[in-house]
Amino acid sequence: MKMFETAVESLKNNLADAIVEFRVPRPRKAYILLKSERHRDAISLLLKEIKDIELSTITGVDLGNEIELNYHMACEGVVTLKNRVSREKPVTQTITDILPGANLYEREVFDLLGVVFEGHPNLERLMLPERWPKGDYPLRKDWKLPADQPDFGSEGPVQAKSAEDTTGSIVNVVVGPQHPVLHEPERFSFKVDGETVVDVEPRLGYVHRGIEKAAERMMYFQDVFLVERICGICNAAHTTVFCQAVEDIGNIETPSRALYLRTIIHELNRVHSHLLLLGVGGHLLGFEALFQHVWRDREPVMDIVERITGNRLMSGFNTIGGVRRDIDPNTVEKTLKTVKAVRKRAVFYKNVFEEDATLRLRTEGVGVLSREDALKLCVVGPVLRGSGVASDVRKDDPYAAYEEIPFNVISYDDCDTWARLMVRAEEVLESLDIIEYALNHLPDGRLRVRVQRKIPEGEAVSRVEAPRGELIHYVKSDGTAYPYRVKVRAPTLANLLAFPGIIRGGYIADIPSVMGSLDPCFSCTDRMAFIDNGKGKKWHWSLDDVNNSKNSKVLI
Amino acid sequence: MGIDLIFFVRTLVFPGFLFLLVLVLFFDWFERKVAARFQNRMGPSYAGPFGILQPIADYIKLFSKEDITPKQTNKFLFIAAPLLAFSFFVFSLFFIPLDGSNVILGSSFEGDLLLVLLLVTLANFGIFLSGWASLNPYSGIGATRVLTQFLGYDIPLIILAIGPAFLAKSLSIVNITASQSLPFALLIPWSCALFILVLQAELEKDPFDIPHAETEIVGGYETEYSGRKLAFIKLSEDFQFLIGAALVTVLFLGGSNGPMLFGPAELWHVFWFLIKTLGVVFVLEYIGNVAARLRIDQVVHGNWKLLIPLSILSLALTVIIEPLLRSVTG
Repeated sequence: MKMFETAVESLKNNLADAIVEFRVPRPRKAYILLKSERHRDAISLLLKEIKDIELSTITGVDLGNEIELNYHMACEGVVTLKNRVSREKPVTQTITDILPGANLYEREVFDLLGVVFEGHPNLERLMLPERWPKGDYPLRKDWKLPADQPDFGSEGPVQAKSAEDTTGSIVNVVVGPQHPVLHEPERFSFKVDGETVVDVEPRLGYVHRGIEKAAERMMYFQDVFLVERICGICNAAHTTVFCQAVEDIGNIETPSRALYLRTIIHELNRVHSHLLLLGVGGHLLGFEALFQHVWRDREPVMDIVERITGNRLMSGFNTIGGVRRDIDPNTVEKTLKTVKAVRKRAVFYKNVFEEDATLRLRTEGVGVLSREDALKLCVVGPVLRGSGVASDVRKDDPYAAYEEIPFNVISYDDCDTWARLMVRAEEVLESLDIIEYALNHLPDGRLRVRVQRKIPEGEAVSRVEAPRGELIHYVKSDGTAYPYRVKVRAPTLANLLAFPGIIRGGYIADIPSVMGSLDPCFSCTDRMAFIDNGKGKKWHWSLDDVNNSKNSKVLI
Repeated sequence: MGIDLIFFVRTLVFPGFLFLLVLVLFFDWFERKVAARFQNRMGPSYAGPFGILQPIADYIKLFSKEDITPKQTNKFLFIAAPLLAFSFFVFSLFFIPLDGSNVILGSSFEGDLLLVLLLVTLANFGIFLSGWASLNPYSGIGATRVLTQFLGYDIPLIILAIGPAFLAKSLSIVNITASQSLPFALLIPWSCALFILVLQAELEKDPFDIPHAETEIVGGYETEYSGRKLAFIKLSEDFQFLIGAALVTVLFLGGSNGPMLFGPAELWHVFWFLIKTLGVVFVLEYIGNVAARLRIDQVVHGNWKLLIPLSILSLALTVIIEPLLRSVTG
């Protein structure tokens, strides 16, 4: 709590002349409107004053005549610094020179809202295809989908941009969009000298589905189901964070039983997500037996999720104002039993990761991300905790029932792949403890409160600790039943920036394990659909559409 | 005339080509089933009893699939390399006494152990060429890894194979097998253990399955292969596995020797040989399932800094205590 107060105080004291509007509507949430182009001063000040401060994301909001850039600075709470730029000439100063972690966020805003960040080292498309029409920014309010299906064409043969200067022994190895190490389509062009990785260029956007745009066209209640589909694994995290944001705007008091139930589902999510990753880690390191065993032991967790929510994966459990299903005593008993069984296995797997000689040979000292770099690049979650920063939204900025539940934040100082895997192995145990505690202390009461369809005007930033790290949603309401703006920043986008740095100079064989230790989830990161403007009609390209399109030859 | 008939039957049916093929498929099934049980899975279950026909089904499928030769490859090498590797492996198996004598009767000679090891080496060059001819970055990396790993591990393998040959005072596999009234694994267990470990690397099994590490380089040297040619590569891998296990059996476990109870001795020879070889396969699979894949630099370091000195030491130890062993076993 202290860090947030210090941040707010120092901004008030040192930059009084730059602050136009100052609001702290909730504990640990500050919204500060700055005079034009003073955001760099504010961010430098915060970086100087607060030790472990990070940039969560940048949200661009089209206000009609201006574009508002919200810099969400996270330090136990969120300080949102607002900088407005004119819509006709949307140019602002980059902050990548003072905080390199802003790189991808600025590119995202540039790509989807057309704000030019002067001085950005690499201001290129991030989500949209390279051939997306210039001057066409989907997240602006006046954006219209072209009458015809957009002709994205092809990006041509997949090649590293700097292919021409690969001389001598340097070979380009393209990993993705389809590759065994990637379970979702992204592309990484590696430059390889023998077995050593010289450089890597990531390209995102293969599964960009435009969910942020789609969310503006649906009502809040529908959006709960939409954001749930951003990520299958951490669906409860996405619904929790979205519902929290809306409840925050509407001043809705969620019953405490609902908060506890949310916590339970959220932690079950974390348990099966971490077990999934530990298994995948085994697979990526060529330890098939470990992979198969971990995944088998993950099944009881899935069964419990199904028993509590009615669904195995997409829980559909949270809603604005509470949760949708109650938990009965039989289920509580069954869950406690399963938790006990899973804990036994989880302890065993933790020991395997701790003691197995071959696993340690492959992961220790590999993919080192130092504490300083981790903070500079604004990584989150287990990656940050693996680099020795004990930062956890559940502890720093408690939500749901975490304020009342005792648990430890796991962090390792080794900064390598092994540390990142160990953080997860131990967090499984912590999560199981949390579930047990929550089930034993489940308060009585209502499940949900009735909520009006229309949400009053306002804005809210909401954060949760998703299995992969800090997940942040920003919701802005204009007083109708439809949100004005929904911004999602999934943890993978934050962690991805660290990847090129920690793999450079490593071996080809380390690519999968280092990549795996970041636990990438690109579908969370991309989010896209083709949305028809007027009618709210949604469509996707089927294989036939692709065949019939003009570019069928190029595409197939 | 009669002699010719025996020659043809032995070469083509038993214990020659056909028998070896069936044996290889059976070993493929056994290996998969054992690995699956280690991994808490079912393994092959549907084709035939206990899924025993699964490898046959797989090969029929592979052989009937479309066979693609990429445009820019070196066509001759791309087609010839898998066949080359396959035939070398089959030929080297002809010198392993499965039923007490070689496949071609009387073909055993002083030094056929070296010939078998040489053929296995050449076959691995075939595998390297298959990857090299593919002109695919994954295949290229896989092929260089085959060569890096194989050249390193061939040396300790041969040094370790000399141990039993020294005890038997012969370089002929038949003689080495015949002189094991007590299996050499009991006399020089350190040598046997090292041999199995090195073999694991030679066979590209976990933790040494670096040349076709799927999460790193997709299929390694076989990435561009499909259909019949892929089937030949897979078949050569299976044959190599059988040869590896068979080498341990003949060098350290007394080959096909064992109690002969009733009926023709050949059947008992085959029986004991199979039992021992399956045991070796089980051990190899066990090692493969309790370890993560190592990295190529770690493997090369481990080879040159650890395994080669150790294998020389083990050979020296064998030579030193040989008189003692001789006095014990008579």
